[in-house]
Amino acid sequence: MTVIEVDGLHKRYGNVLAVDDVSFRVEAGEIFGILGPNGAGKTTTVECLQGLRRPDAGRLRVLRLDPTTHQHEVRRRIGSQLQDSALPDRLKVWEALDLFSSISRRGPAWRDLLATWDLDGVADRSFASLSGGQRQRLFVALALVNDPEVVFLDELTQGLDPGARRMAWDLIREIRDRGVTVVLVTHYMDEVEALCDRVAVIDHGRVRALGTPRQLVESAHSEVTVTFTCHEDVAWLASTRFVDTVHQTDGTVVVIGPGPVVPLVAAALVERGIVPEDMAVRRASLEDVYLDLIDRPAYSPEDR
Amino acid sequence: MRLWVRLTWVELKLFVREPVSVVFTFAFPLVVLVVLFGVFGDRPSSAFGFARPDDYYLASYMAVVIAAVSLIALPVHVATYRERGVMRRLRASSVPAVTLLSAQVLVSLLLVATGAGVLVAAGLTAYDASLPVDRADAVLGFAIASLSFLAVGFLLGHLARTARAAQAIGMLAFLPMWLLSGAGPPEDLLSDGLQRVAELLPLTYAVRAVREPWLGHGSDTTALAVLTLMLVAAGGLATRRVRQL
Ligand SMILES: Nc1ncnc2c1ncn2[C@@H]1O[C@H](COP(=O)(O)OP(=O)(O)O)[C@@H](O)[C@H]1O
Ligand SMILES: [Mg+2]
Repeated sequence: MTVIEVDGLHKRYGNVLAVDDVSFRVEAGEIFGILGPNGAGKTTTVECLQGLRRPDAGRLRVLRLDPTTHQHEVRRRIGSQLQDSALPDRLKVWEALDLFSSISRRGPAWRDLLATWDLDGVADRSFASLSGGQRQRLFVALALVNDPEVVFLDELTQGLDPGARRMAWDLIREIRDRGVTVVLVTHYMDEVEALCDRVAVIDHGRVRALGTPRQLVESAHSEVTVTFTCHEDVAWLASTRFVDTVHQTDGTVVVIGPGPVVPLVAAALVERGIVPEDMAVRRASLEDVYLDLIDRPAYSPEDR
Repeated sequence: MRLWVRLTWVELKLFVREPVSVVFTFAFPLVVLVVLFGVFGDRPSSAFGFARPDDYYLASYMAVVIAAVSLIALPVHVATYRERGVMRRLRASSVPAVTLLSAQVLVSLLLVATGAGVLVAAGLTAYDASLPVDRADAVLGFAIASLSFLAVGFLLGHLARTARAAQAIGMLAFLPMWLLSGAGPPEDLLSDGLQRVAELLPLTYAVRAVREPWLGHGSDTTALAVLTLMLVAAGGLATRRVRQL
């Protein structure tokens, strides 16, 4: 079942084009990543989906409802953690949960949420006194207070130390395991690789790539890099089948080409009696793909 | 309804936990009033239009409490909510803007009334001050002054870029008004220049709206008109600002 549909979303703030034709679909039960650098238009996109901003153009559906015209129905059925949204410093943890759970009739009792998200020990503490990880757990608990079908998490792990980030990842998996669809906005690649079933890479308001993390790696960078040490001249490798380029500097050889290049280069070398001890093969990682995708100038003349 | 009650209760608790607000709403007016009682006593004096200074000041300090809640406590609270995204978070959970606004108005009114009550209780028990002569008119003046100052407080909270800015602007508005509006030295003792400045300060009208009927001079219709105008203008602007968010 499709839970979210975005078709041709556009949003402009004055003369800043924040979202410039974004389209994607999110299926029930998946963790869908929206990955992109700061200012890419991620927050704007998910805020439009939550009915917090009015799109300039495009068709949006959340749980088959238009979030612009059916704000209240949509918000009743979604959970939300907004970027840069905090609670009053002197509000206590239990007060926040009590308040937010009184908004909707659905959802578990807030005392259960305290236990589920391991907030029992800090129920009486003020928001200001919580650690980063405890705040994230509170935000997650608040996002789930109305038993939503979809949750939007916008930079949940921003500013957390690595240990707390790993714990936040576990929280996110736990949400999905409860059958809730998760839309995860982030600018961390490792987060997408670790958590997301599918991801949309957004830059300058446009979708640069869409698919599973694996598909992105395979489609964008099918080539591999083979490196080894050899002090003989091996320029002749360039004529081996599939090899695109050969570089040799000070005995370090770098050969680039698509997948089959690895056995073919190895065989050709062995045939000539060259058996390097340190041959290493590197495939592109999601990080390479990502950096490649967002490095492109977004508004080159051909784009217009 | 359940939500509204919770929200109001939480708002009230948050206010009471904010030391600056508590000090300016309860302690500051009381301490200054006690000093003024001690200095000027209870003998009718020409400087006070032949009223008793204790009545004169007790009535005037009703308006000081209003200004303290409206200009010091409320703007910082509202600006903090905006700055930290609390309003957006509530909106994302479908909490209507009017629910939050009405809870905040109610809590502010409650505080104003409590702060004023503390002063009246002190004035009547520990000192020899008296209750208003024209009671209904004094209450009316107090109510209109409260609403119009709260509207200004909301507007300030929504216009200030940050909570710190709201606090600075609020203090800057409060302190000179407190000194020159009739709550400091009696108006007749001010120089001509300062009297003219006082005529431009909203708090002067809030003071008169309460004090004139309190001392038995009847309603000050000019003051009520100025305050009503302020209520309409500031309330209208603040509402427009909230809608834009
Ligand atoms: N309320 C706003 N007013 C004006 N410009 C905005 C506003 N919100 C975001 N922007 C701009 O829109 C662009 C996209 O922002 P945003 O959606 O927050 O990106 P991201 O979440 O990917 O960092 C940025 O250039 C940002 O400066
Ligand atoms: Mg963002």
